[in-house]
Amino acid sequence: MSRSGRFAAWLPGGTPDDEDGTEPDPRFTFANERTFLAWSRTALALVVAGLGIVQLLPPFPGVPAGRHLLGVPLIVLGAVLAVTAYAEWVRNQRALRRGDPLPRSVMPWILAATVAGMALISAIVLLISAIR
Amino acid sequence: MTGADPGPAGPAGPAARDPTDPEEGDPGLARERTSLSWTRTAISFAALGGVVLKANVITGLIILAVSPLVWQLGRLSRGGPPGAPLSAVSGRRILLITVSVVGVALLSLIIAVLGPSVPGALHIRP
Repeated sequence: MSRSGRFAAWLPGGTPDDEDGTEPDPRFTFANERTFLAWSRTALALVVAGLGIVQLLPPFPGVPAGRHLLGVPLIVLGAVLAVTAYAEWVRNQRALRRGDPLPRSVMPWILAATVAGMALISAIVLLISAIR
Repeated sequence: MTGADPGPAGPAGPAARDPTDPEEGDPGLARERTSLSWTRTAISFAALGGVVLKANVITGLIILAVSPLVWQLGRLSRGGPPGAPLSAVSGRRILLITVSVVGVALLSLIIAVLGPSVPGALHIRP
């Protein structure tokens, strides 16, 4: 089993280079790869946003930990998104090899929950900061 | 929802061929799009390296150094070893990117929690 296969064994979906199934049309493999890369860039954007908030924003008056409260979860979610993107790539590639329907993606749900959660925390921090 | 959705024609096989698809005439377009996607990812690493550079020079330089490596990986997407299945070749590159992104996120987390900050660097003066 390849190195990526061994790593993928720890993730849901098994390995991409299973012995069963056939090599899919290269265009679909490339499309799967581009989807993974797009999610990786999204993960990097979350990391940049989190780091920028902690390092560059002025402190929130009355909320000394406000910047860390907003920035640290974004960085952690960036890492989570990167690992999840890999697991999804493995699952999709496996489905393509076997000719199965593509599995439903959890990535949009994770991203939507992240954005909604961060918006809520931001609103709370800003309100507390404004009151004080 | 995934970007790998092959469309109504199905995932593979001769039945999936669509004569009106421009890629039937030039299948290299998919490869080219993927190569461009790798370039965008390399630029993303460079952008993150630039931001981190402001907070921590050494870490910023390390992340900036990842950028040309990613770009080189993208160039490799133009072709792997002869006869190697594309899935396996693609899998190794994708694993490297995953490890890089997670590593960069961990470095950023350490900087965010322990590193020096420049509070107010984005403060807009009236």
